Amino acid sequence: MELFKMTGGELHRLMKEKKVSAAEVAEDVYARISKVENGIGAYITPTPEEAIKAAEAVDKKIASGEEIHPLAGIPIGIKDNICTKDIKTTCASRMLENFVPPYDATVITKLKAADFVMTGKLNMDEFAMGSSCENSAFHITHNPHGLDKVPGGSSGGSAAAVAAGEAVMSLGSDTGGSIREPAAYCGIIGLKPTYGAVSRYGLVAFASSLDQIGPMGRSVEDVANLFYTISGQDPYDATTMPTRYPKTAEGLGYDFSGLRIGMPREFYKHADVAVGASIWQVIRTLEARGAKVVDISLPSTDYGLSAYYIISSAEASSNLSRFDGVKYGFRAENYNDLNDMYEKTRSEGFGDEVKRRIMLGTFVLSSGYYDAYYKKAKLFQQKVRAEYDEAFKMCDVIVTPTAPTAAFKIGENVHDPLKMYASDVCTITVNIAGLPALSLPIGMDHEMPVGMQLIGPHFSEEKLLGIAKEFETMRGGLCQVASVV
Amino acid sequence: MKYEIVVGLEVHAELNTKTKIYCGCKNSFGSMVNSNCCPICTGMPGTLPTLNKSVVDYAVRMGYALHCSINNICKMDRKNYFYPDLPKAYQISQFDIPLCENGYIDAIVDEEGHTKRIGVTRIHIEEDAGKLIHSDDFAGSLVDFNRCGVPLIEIVSEPDMRSSAEAKAYLDTIKATLQYLGISDCKMQEGSIRCDVNVSVRPEGSTEFGTRVEMKNVNSFSATVRAIEYEAARQIEILENGGEIHQETRRWDDIAGKNILLRSKEDAQDYRYFPEPDLKTVYVEESRLAELKASIPELPNDKLLRLMKQYKLPYFDANLMAENPDKADYFEAVAALGSCQPKNISNWLLGDITRIINEKNLTLADTSLSAEKLAEMLAMIEKGEISTTAGKTVLEEIIFSDKTAADVVEEKGLRQMNDTAALEQVVRDILAANPKVVEDYRGGKTNALGFLVGQCMRASKGKGNPNIMREMLEKALNG
Amino acid sequence: MEIDIKKIAKLSRLAIEPEREEKFQKDMQNIIDMVEQLPEMEAGDLSPKVEDAMALREDVVEPSLPREEVLKNAPQVAAGCVVVPKTVG
Repeated sequence: MELFKMTGGELHRLMKEKKVSAAEVAEDVYARISKVENGIGAYITPTPEEAIKAAEAVDKKIASGEEIHPLAGIPIGIKDNICTKDIKTTCASRMLENFVPPYDATVITKLKAADFVMTGKLNMDEFAMGSSCENSAFHITHNPHGLDKVPGGSSGGSAAAVAAGEAVMSLGSDTGGSIREPAAYCGIIGLKPTYGAVSRYGLVAFASSLDQIGPMGRSVEDVANLFYTISGQDPYDATTMPTRYPKTAEGLGYDFSGLRIGMPREFYKHADVAVGASIWQVIRTLEARGAKVVDISLPSTDYGLSAYYIISSAEASSNLSRFDGVKYGFRAENYNDLNDMYEKTRSEGFGDEVKRRIMLGTFVLSSGYYDAYYKKAKLFQQKVRAEYDEAFKMCDVIVTPTAPTAAFKIGENVHDPLKMYASDVCTITVNIAGLPALSLPIGMDHEMPVGMQLIGPHFSEEKLLGIAKEFETMRGGLCQVASVV
Repeated sequence: MKYEIVVGLEVHAELNTKTKIYCGCKNSFGSMVNSNCCPICTGMPGTLPTLNKSVVDYAVRMGYALHCSINNICKMDRKNYFYPDLPKAYQISQFDIPLCENGYIDAIVDEEGHTKRIGVTRIHIEEDAGKLIHSDDFAGSLVDFNRCGVPLIEIVSEPDMRSSAEAKAYLDTIKATLQYLGISDCKMQEGSIRCDVNVSVRPEGSTEFGTRVEMKNVNSFSATVRAIEYEAARQIEILENGGEIHQETRRWDDIAGKNILLRSKEDAQDYRYFPEPDLKTVYVEESRLAELKASIPELPNDKLLRLMKQYKLPYFDANLMAENPDKADYFEAVAALGSCQPKNISNWLLGDITRIINEKNLTLADTSLSAEKLAEMLAMIEKGEISTTAGKTVLEEIIFSDKTAADVVEEKGLRQMNDTAALEQVVRDILAANPKVVEDYRGGKTNALGFLVGQCMRASKGKGNPNIMREMLEKALNG
Repeated sequence: MEIDIKKIAKLSRLAIEPEREEKFQKDMQNIIDMVEQLPEMEAGDLSPKVEDAMALREDVVEPSLPREEVLKNAPQVAAGCVVVPKTVG
């Protein structure tokens, strides 16, 4: 049995029936990692010893007849910006190369309570700033469907690991598309939850008002189970809200008849013809099941990037100020005084993209510029929210491309920050509005996966997952582990 | 030319909540370095703040005490700057919407009880920074994060004070108010109240403000007085010599008794304030506001002025009681019984009773001296049933026991002798035994009378009524 | 708006090597030109709203971290404290 190819749901059933053990599952996934990781580079810190130990504990529970959680014994990879107690959490930055958190993020505490098996910490763009995983300070990650292509970013390692069978599921984080874009590029399913649905406690902050942790997987059931496990109000995160999600993915589905699908024209003009065509093909099949297409307009989409870079960079400049060589992380070796220590530490510890965003954020918040940039962007945010609210009066779900193109070539955009930023144009306004959105693989363009984005009203994850599940059933599955050649 | 001094104050007071403002670490002073810390207050990557409810409650109560309007819908903001004692490199504070604003204090400026109204611009909540420890025999500085996240209120005044004495009166009122509300320990030596001082001068009669200079590191109220006087004199000297004042920040050195330039206006920090995205709206429900408002006791200045007026107490007595509300309450309880004079109560309370409990390091609550017991004793003195001297003996006996004054008087036979025939005999005996003193008195040394009264008291074993005996002596000597 | 890269770098506590200043200046200017495409907004209300109110934390003590855990990631430690270059007293 090639256990690494199975979904979490399949493995859970096999474990419950005692047909396989959690230890066997973990071993098989690590065998897969040994085989393909050289070519993929999804991991920063694999944790095989801890994983086997955790798996054996699950096997004991099963042997003693205890009920197990759907995620018990399931190998799950964690993006390396989510704090894990006693395990390095680097944010793919020299700055935190040796940082060992003394505490667990709330999502990790919840997953531990579910007896998950952590495979390791996954590569990403440094501090989650990037769309290709090329901004990692340690190494780049390759797209399992085409090794010369980027896996997307910033959760590139999280997407590549799942697509390559190096993890059954993973956690990513999404500030402007960082779960959905790599999910689309790597042909897997990724959910960016409603802002406030999942605790950010322990997620190393990039842009506090936009960041959300979310699940990635190869089946809708897996993504749903992982989401339901990590979500909920957290006393350690004042921005979380009380939620009423089901406990497990059981019974997930959706009746398409009468479903109103909003198609915002602004998104399609940014997308490649092939991407747009793939989506329309899907829409036709949904229409055949009784769904109705509604033409909608979200005119602010075109300015999303501008507002996003103001808000996210402003918050990032403040959030990343704590990396100063004093309490943790990197400190430059030679310095003359305190200020020199600050400047050398931060200049040597951060990569160029991080520096650009810090400087942009510092600039837009600096004395005299606040109103012209930050305040204006916050007003824009209200406008975006209002536009989405209006749109959801006319439709139940909005369907767009996840990214304008399929995965691009490694190195193609690294020298042009603006071109790189443009790959987030379809995902960014969702974060600005705090909405949930799901990316689903719907086909291939020149042998690379294409993703479709479902956007719903606040806290409508169950509906989005239901629609995705129904679609997955129609298609007889959405994701396959890439062969990696 | 005559100059007028203009002073504005920013007072930072640490609140004595159980936990820090943004995490559950203990809020306490004097612990081992870096022992009251967690990932949140040390700014570890990934951590988030949660706002302590008591901090909001305490600040709202202070706001009501200083007659502020309360912004019960407000927010927190980030103030960004780099310094090793600020682990997140930003302080979570309040910028454009403080929790409380537009209040005032009526500071008492003289012993007649005259007051001066000083505007309170705003009160906001924020976190304290850690402590840097320096040593000459160590090349670097050490950082102790224990104080990081200790809750602070910053109370900003209007530039309404016109002398160092008014500033002192303002600060005394702030301190007494914090203590009355029980929201701050107010220990200057532990840095639980700190003060930034803004000083400017202007020609007397001018209505425009001069350029102001801010002074940091003013660590006691007496230092505030010195710092204001020094800075005003410095500015006046510059103006007298035809110079001009620069807007700048200076550092007060209390040991040297002078200040030095810290930074000029051009070097002013750019704090890049913006709303704290990790916290949402701070909202104190209207019903909670009403509860907090109702919990404000009579405030120290109000109490002081009322005690002066209602009981005709001198400033000194009223002030001592206003500083110790438990004494004031006790005083009023005794006075309410109506059996003795308020001033007499005050004398005994602030005199012998305070001395006894201070010697034993106790408080009034630790004694057995009910208001009724003290009132009974004082009434006996006032009626002449016992002498003041006997009263002191009685107090020692009843203060920590179940005995009443009457019990002790009976037991020890302390009842004052008012029988004139018996007293006259005593007086006669003393006069006869001291012919030299009698001669002195008649020769003009009138203070010899006191000696003779003392002798009579001794002869009567302390029981003779000294007033009666004094009269008898006078009559005999002058007759 | 022109960005003064030296001033902003200083405020950000970043040192840009002189030979890379020009490239940074150009990239940053492009990014700023992009964000400036944001159209003028009608005046709106950004004041805090009751419906966004958060729950406040009860004032109950939770255990702190052992000191060695607080300090284990620090680059330099002495006498139970983090060590930094000397600051003015």
